[in-house]
Amino acid sequence: MTNAVQSDHDFEVQDIMINMGPQHPATHGVFRMVLAVDGEIVRDVIPHIGYMHRGGEKLSETMDFRQGIGFMDRTEYLAQFNAELSYVMAVEALMDIQVPERAQWIRMILCELNRLSSHFMFTGAFGTDSGVFGTAFTYAFRWREEIMDLFEEITGDRLMYAYFRPGGLAWEVTDNFAQRVKYVLDQCRQGIKDVDNLITNNEVFKARTQNVGIISAEDAIDWGTTGPVLRGSGVPFDVRRDEPYLFYDQVDFDVPVGQVGDVYDRWCVRIEEMRQSVRIVEQCMAKLQPGPIMPERMPRMLRTPPGEVYIRTEAPRGEYGIYMVSKGGNRPHRLKIRSACFTNLQALKDMSVGNYVADAVLILGSLDIVLGETDR
Amino acid sequence: MTNEDSAPARSLDGTIWPQVDRALSGITASAERAVLDVIVSIPRDEVVRGLKALKADEALAFDYLRCLTCVDNEEEGIDVVYHLYSTKHHHNLTVKAHLAPDDLFVDTATTVWRGANWYEREAAEMFGVRFRGHPDPRTLLMPEDMTDTFPLRKDHPLAEIEVLQGEGIAWGVEE
Amino acid sequence: MAVDVTETGAPVAPAEAPATAPAPISPLEHPLEAPRLTPVEVVPGKALYRAVLPGVLQVPADLVIAASRKSSLWPMTFGLACCAIEMIATYMSHYDLDRFGIVPWPSPRQSDVMIVAGTVTKKMAPAVKLLYEQMPNPKWVISMGACATNGGPYTRYDRVVQGVDKLIPVDVYVPGCPPRPEALLDGFLALQEKIMEERAATGR
Repeated sequence: MTNAVQSDHDFEVQDIMINMGPQHPATHGVFRMVLAVDGEIVRDVIPHIGYMHRGGEKLSETMDFRQGIGFMDRTEYLAQFNAELSYVMAVEALMDIQVPERAQWIRMILCELNRLSSHFMFTGAFGTDSGVFGTAFTYAFRWREEIMDLFEEITGDRLMYAYFRPGGLAWEVTDNFAQRVKYVLDQCRQGIKDVDNLITNNEVFKARTQNVGIISAEDAIDWGTTGPVLRGSGVPFDVRRDEPYLFYDQVDFDVPVGQVGDVYDRWCVRIEEMRQSVRIVEQCMAKLQPGPIMPERMPRMLRTPPGEVYIRTEAPRGEYGIYMVSKGGNRPHRLKIRSACFTNLQALKDMSVGNYVADAVLILGSLDIVLGETDR
Repeated sequence: MTNEDSAPARSLDGTIWPQVDRALSGITASAERAVLDVIVSIPRDEVVRGLKALKADEALAFDYLRCLTCVDNEEEGIDVVYHLYSTKHHHNLTVKAHLAPDDLFVDTATTVWRGANWYEREAAEMFGVRFRGHPDPRTLLMPEDMTDTFPLRKDHPLAEIEVLQGEGIAWGVEE
Repeated sequence: MAVDVTETGAPVAPAEAPATAPAPISPLEHPLEAPRLTPVEVVPGKALYRAVLPGVLQVPADLVIAASRKSSLWPMTFGLACCAIEMIATYMSHYDLDRFGIVPWPSPRQSDVMIVAGTVTKKMAPAVKLLYEQMPNPKWVISMGACATNGGPYTRYDRVVQGVDKLIPVDVYVPGCPPRPEALLDGFLALQEKIMEERAATGR
């Protein structure tokens, strides 16, 4: 599209449409963004999603309550324990199953460690977006591998765990669980410090990310954004604090909240959340007692009574909700996955308009999208 | 926040139903207790008016739309379900609107919360529900040329596994 | 060819029987047995160096060309879904792929291999085909994971392409959901072996 000259003094100016994706090194998956730019300033953003729409919801409706856990893993493939947790908590709420304490504490530990590994991935990917190509990723993955090693020892898989079951856990954790968690936490503390020193106070990084992609608190609430995006804009809404599940009301942790609502705030919120996750895991390990991990009498075939429930947990990207409608039987009648990234992406236009093209990549990176969750 | 009742029909005491009833004055609404939330059923023609009233009411202040989806009940029609949350008072509500199977229209909720935009686009292409007044009714998740079927309806079948990928494997492994 | 499945999941014979009944064959020759890496017949290329001093220059030239191609495979970063995370983990320092000369490269115009990592949906299919056509020869395709092989866990959904080999020719299939980084590494080594075995076809 070029400028068309109509007469001597009358110029018709059109915006240039730049197409980013679906294959692009910076789009975190198959996401397509059409930017309408005027020179260097973004005037409009038209996101196109659906390139990873695989029918997780429809296929989960054909699976019974233990088979569907595998689909939850693959939907949110960076925060798998949180996704599984929402699903099994929905089944437990419908069937009114009491989960033993030890299983709840272990679930909490694993979810927080998963938050750590997901945020490490974010630091790597966002570092790549903001220009630290390769270095941040290599650092981040070095510690992510430590956490994934621990998960592999417990669950048997590096990425798709399928470890939670309605009622508790699939099997007991390893015997040296406490020592391994302590080792992993030490590594993570070192890792957070390293990533912080490398990037957070870097002058170039600050110049690139401060006052970029600002969204106000009212807009964030109106669009329904959640997670670090909402907290970066100053709204202190965290599902762990406001609607506690598992034992989050028995541990001490802070909820970091940003002030300006720009990309730098979202980065800092996530780094601080990593520190708080380490704190939570330490407290959980201190309270972990031996005991059973499944209730004593669990039916072989899980049948839920008719009813519906909406369970929400705080995944690393925001609120991950499962709306499950059951009409009796051993399958859900309707399973709706309320994913954080889907809602956060709606606000992309508000955040990006008025910034430069080079910042569009940063703003997208700061939303930390996972296309499996967005498209399901 | 919620008190579990062990009787099969859980009572609505101690929930926010009285305040909701007052805010929805003039609209026929019925309520029931689900496992965690209160479900309010509003007739289809008044649902957006009811949602506006719920958002504007001071004591309720439902300023956050958590989720908007549809449930296909086969012969009985489709329910449109809204999950609401208040960031000020920290309470939840579920609102349902029932649509008859031959009459799948409802007004858009984007006038109440902008965040309903993509949810309605997705529900429209998955279930075939039309949201009247939606500012941008394009397909969201489907390819543009596959809009004539609605995948999340119960009568939409699963795909069959295509076994062959070459000639001569006529006796290949079956599903 | 669609196969009918009864309620219990047992297959039902198709309405028309095949024209010739299959003769019994040994398991090693069953068509569903994993094929050898080399095709049965490798058509030699027609480059100039084959015409000059026939029989003398080809073999070392083929060897050198194929060895250099296999030692410097540059994959295009085409991570679609969860397998992309394992692909990235394979590039990273724990299971380093750089020591094999494998450097991820974003642009299709300068890459050799396309690793299709993740589910290919019908919306994404034209883009996959376009990217494959944008890659210059010689090019190879590694289909990583169950979704790219045959649709994987999502194969029963009708918006999913059941395997990327319905769109583009695939050289190596790496099974797993997701495959371990060592498995992807094994896939690359198998591809290197295949390049060496097919070295007479260089010089097209």
